[in-house]
Amino acid sequence: MNLQRKLQQLLSSMVQPLTAVLIGLLTGAVAISIVGASVIETYKVMWDGAFGNFYFITATLARATPIIFIGLGLAIAFRAGVFNMGAEGQMVLGAVSAALAALYVPGPGIIKILVALAAGFLAGGLWSLLAGWMETRFKVQLLISTLLLNYVAVLFAGYLVSHPFQDKSGSAALAQTTMLNQAAWLPKLFPGMSVNLGFVIAIVFAIILFIILRFTSAGYEVRMLGYNPFFAEYGGINKIKVLLYSMFSSGGIAGLAGTVEVLGSQYRYVEGSLTVPGYAWTGLMAALLANSNPLGTAVAAILLAALQTGAMGMERNTEVPLEIASVIQGVLILFVTAKITINWWKVKKKGGDIHGAA
Amino acid sequence: MELLDLSFFTSAIRMISPILLAALGGALCARVGIFNVGLEGLILAGAFSAIVGNYYSGSVLVAVLVGALGSVLVSLLFGLAAIRFKANPIVAGIAINFLVLGLTTFGLRAIFDVKGAFYDKNMEGLPKIDIPVIEGIPVIGKLLSGHSPLVYVAFLAAILLYIFFYRTVVGFRVLAVGKNEAAARSLGLKVTILQYGAIVGCGILCGLAGAQLSLGQVTMFTEGMTAGRGFIALVAMMLGQSHPIGIVGSSLLFGLMDALSIRLQGFSMPTQFTAMLPYVITIFAMFFLKDRGADSQLSGQQSSR
Repeated sequence: MNLQRKLQQLLSSMVQPLTAVLIGLLTGAVAISIVGASVIETYKVMWDGAFGNFYFITATLARATPIIFIGLGLAIAFRAGVFNMGAEGQMVLGAVSAALAALYVPGPGIIKILVALAAGFLAGGLWSLLAGWMETRFKVQLLISTLLLNYVAVLFAGYLVSHPFQDKSGSAALAQTTMLNQAAWLPKLFPGMSVNLGFVIAIVFAIILFIILRFTSAGYEVRMLGYNPFFAEYGGINKIKVLLYSMFSSGGIAGLAGTVEVLGSQYRYVEGSLTVPGYAWTGLMAALLANSNPLGTAVAAILLAALQTGAMGMERNTEVPLEIASVIQGVLILFVTAKITINWWKVKKKGGDIHGAA
Repeated sequence: MELLDLSFFTSAIRMISPILLAALGGALCARVGIFNVGLEGLILAGAFSAIVGNYYSGSVLVAVLVGALGSVLVSLLFGLAAIRFKANPIVAGIAINFLVLGLTTFGLRAIFDVKGAFYDKNMEGLPKIDIPVIEGIPVIGKLLSGHSPLVYVAFLAAILLYIFFYRTVVGFRVLAVGKNEAAARSLGLKVTILQYGAIVGCGILCGLAGAQLSLGQVTMFTEGMTAGRGFIALVAMMLGQSHPIGIVGSSLLFGLMDALSIRLQGFSMPTQFTAMLPYVITIFAMFFLKDRGADSQLSGQQSSR
């Protein structure tokens, strides 16, 4: 019976995201028919572009890698009840720090990789911690400060790679660092395919995070702070400490998103390579879609990445523009949020039932 | 080149108007208890529909109206999600930003069959208004005269909004909804209607902001041309504590910083640092305004306070 209830819970938690996906796809269908293409045909091309063959599957997973990290980082913050909007800045600072660490720390490749991962985590974490500290110490609104710090971080990283650390070896002076030593590259999972070891790290992180949030007292404190800060404080939780820890790990994991992109696919920090694809916002959507469940976030991130790679395939093969993907995404998120009412309504109703039974 | 001359201030005033208009729209929403993160998307919708209106009608007035209408439609969608379906407004706002970015780029392809930007030399931009008497006064004339009508509308809107909030019955009711929705409802106020009204008002203001962007300086639409202005407007709104006059102040600050950062580029400073300036200064400004954030709880986030 317990199992049945759990199953029911799982199903009811799936209904809303699935409805949102359906509405998103329907909107996409409307948009596709507006440009006069066949809906079924286009969606099929899209599916092939995302999962059509092994190469496309790995391309989708490669794109999903930074999105998973971002989503996981944000999931921690959301669980703690804070709206960290600064994933972009945290990711970029993590990326540029990792690139510089991998370039200038001496030693064999594995040392470079480990130092770069640590540097990326630290840079993102500290940047995020700054916002957390301003919130707890000076009551500067986190939602706004993280947003503002994004611009500062992206511009600062841009300065670093266009002035002091610019790659001057090439003929065109692009805003990028020099190429990393091949020893410091994260290995590809399959030869010739774009997905790299970073994807495995991301999945491991998702599982670890799931366990921490679900089964440890630290995770319980984070969740309690998110559910009800007053109760958390009443229960003897040091709110400030938990909030700062959450923000640090949230930003750190976002920093890893940039780090694995640098070590595993770009092999250098290129200005705009992380901000232009909008990883940060997609990661935010993944966390929202999955209601900040780490495992769900990873799945949602892969789905959103598939939507994007699928749309690219669609643009290659049909007349339908790529931007259908962001329309579908937007609608999807718009409707996934509406679930909050339904959940509240259900919780209320359930509460009533319990009282009725008693 | 001088650091601060007259053209510096006129360019500042020009840059202010989209931010000011959108921030006022955001304030309207904030005052009915809805934190609108979707300003960016609303401005973009306004900018795009203004260009569409301009292209098909050839009239600037129609273009501005279509711009406002386009933004209102998106705004209503946001309202539907946030009010009717009680979705988290922050999430819905983010969704709106994404949706509009996709829709406008899609629209560029579907309507104009171009990618990236649309420009047509036959399209007419907003006219410059020269105010008869003021125009003749040496310094002030250059400063205040010769802007696009929407620049004046922006400042006028701030004054009107102030009068609306603090001198009219409906305005008082709006403020009551923002202060305590449950109490307002129990008094028999039509909370939902007031909220939708504010959402529509916000749409109109953001639409005007968008029209100023796409028809003001240059008459064209580029993908994602808002470039974060909606978020700046959001910050200006918070900095001004959703008070019309406060918002004028904070928008002026942003306009000045923006103009300053462009001006400083002539002084061989790395452009990144000058571009950073508005954001850094805003962060510092938030330290001083931290306690008076009247609607700090609006963002719905729990924190240490």
